[in-house]
Amino acid sequence: MTVDLAYQYLFTGALTVMAVLIGIILIRSIIGPRIIDRILCINMIGTLVICTIAILSQMLDESYLTDIAIIYAMLSFLTVLILASVYIRRLNLTDEDEGMKAGEQPPGVQAFGAQDVSLGQTKETQASVPAAGSLQQDKNSRETVPQREVPHD
Amino acid sequence: MKKRFLAWLYGDQDVMDGILDNFNKPDVSHSELKKITRAAEEEYDHRPEVLEAIGRDRARFRTIYLVIAFISCIMLTLVLLYTVSLLPEYGAENPRAVEVVSRYVEDGLEETGAVNIVSGMILDYRAFDTLGESHVLFTALICVMILLRIDRKNQRSDYEDYYTVRTDTYFDLSTDPVLRLVCAVIVPCILLYGIYILLNGQNSPGGGFSGGAVLGAGMILFSVAFGFDKADRFFTLKVSNIVTFVSLGFYSFAKGYVFFMGANGLENHIPKGTPGAIFSGGMILPLDIAVGCVVGCTMFGFYSLFRRGSIGGQI
Amino acid sequence: MIEWIRFWITAVILFCGILAFILEVAGLFRLGFVMNRMHASGIGDSFGLGCVVFAMIISSGLNLDSLKLFLLILFMWLTSPVSTHFLSRIEVNTNPFIARYVRFGTDYGKK
Repeated sequence: MTVDLAYQYLFTGALTVMAVLIGIILIRSIIGPRIIDRILCINMIGTLVICTIAILSQMLDESYLTDIAIIYAMLSFLTVLILASVYIRRLNLTDEDEGMKAGEQPPGVQAFGAQDVSLGQTKETQASVPAAGSLQQDKNSRETVPQREVPHD
Repeated sequence: MKKRFLAWLYGDQDVMDGILDNFNKPDVSHSELKKITRAAEEEYDHRPEVLEAIGRDRARFRTIYLVIAFISCIMLTLVLLYTVSLLPEYGAENPRAVEVVSRYVEDGLEETGAVNIVSGMILDYRAFDTLGESHVLFTALICVMILLRIDRKNQRSDYEDYYTVRTDTYFDLSTDPVLRLVCAVIVPCILLYGIYILLNGQNSPGGGFSGGAVLGAGMILFSVAFGFDKADRFFTLKVSNIVTFVSLGFYSFAKGYVFFMGANGLENHIPKGTPGAIFSGGMILPLDIAVGCVVGCTMFGFYSLFRRGSIGGQI
Repeated sequence: MIEWIRFWITAVILFCGILAFILEVAGLFRLGFVMNRMHASGIGDSFGLGCVVFAMIISSGLNLDSLKLFLLILFMWLTSPVSTHFLSRIEVNTNPFIARYVRFGTDYGKK
């Protein structure tokens, strides 16, 4: 048994295990109860695909596949970042609107991006989790926005 | 189960069930809203003066439109049928395809000076095709701009303005110190890597399109990490316009000149250099740079337009 | 002989990496809360990918290719904690009942 053949067997076995793992993660991403599970699974699939490309570049002796692995790593990072920006933005906004209109403390979901909230300050977040029903009370709260001057030409 | 599925299908229930149904539920369900708007539109359209005006315009326009459409359809059909009749029969050997492929593979390095055969193909033998592709990207950017750009005539309502101001300034990711620190390290590396792909297109896989895409992704990462204000300092609408115009103009001029002077684009008037060096391949390197500039501007322009409705800061 | 030694080192490190990925997937199904699952995914992101790509570096020897693979490890070790950080930010911002699972504030660590 030569060394090349041994490398072939080793890499083929590793690639097979990784393919099976990708399939299992895909099942988890379908089950995943919330959007966060799905994004997490996409991130993990990205990692596994990067490893697969790195192994393939050694197995096939094609050095340009490593370039593709680096680009894939960059794209998977960018994906998580932009999805995070979209979801953090949207849900933060709705939370604060509902809480402020009702004249009570904002619900336990604290805005991390806002300036005044940080992990160092003490907040009684445990006590201030409202029931899910109380969030539905003021649906029309968005109509009362402060008037801003819009320039007309 | 079925009821829930139907509700999801018609949009009464949000896709992200359990997260958003506490917050974003509209007062009127989607199907009702559709009915109300359709009724209002019909009522508006069926006023007598509107009907009269529409009828007057339509009667004159319709005959011309029908005649022109009929003639152009028939001519297009004839042209397509004639082209099909020139193709070889089904099952017969096609000598042209074999010839072209063997020519590319055997003489490609010698004639174009590019080690990467694909790059030599798309930027030398079929450079006219790539010119069309770059123009398609440019046209797509223009169309997105027409649809999404906010200018003076297209001011937002009070509520929308308030919404964007709050979302874009308060809840930006650029307030996050972790991201800023990591991106300060990463973004220059990514831009350098994109330039490497762009300049090395004739020697290794890559070239204009992938290098431009990496450059655009680096720009998007920069604007996510540091905010749009920092990106506006060097990438405004004027810069985007100038870069795109100069790139496309240079491409059109260079390739047009070559087509007219050298018949099939093989006479470059630029020495090909030794294969494998960075300055090799004649016209392929500058054309790669032009295509990369167009692709990068288009990617970042798409992101910027979809995110906030303008390229650069000014409205 | 030296080739066989290199092969066995590669095989052992690659096995460690694959084991880390299997642990990651097991944790993905066993753990109940999303943040714990993020911890499981972090094992694969840092240790698993590091092991697998390091095995590839050893098998390829010293050349430009191994330099690129080393850059890949550096890149992933820089970026994957940031992605996990943002995933946890989404979780904290979207889950209304986050306070049942996570304790905020200065009393963290006390009983």
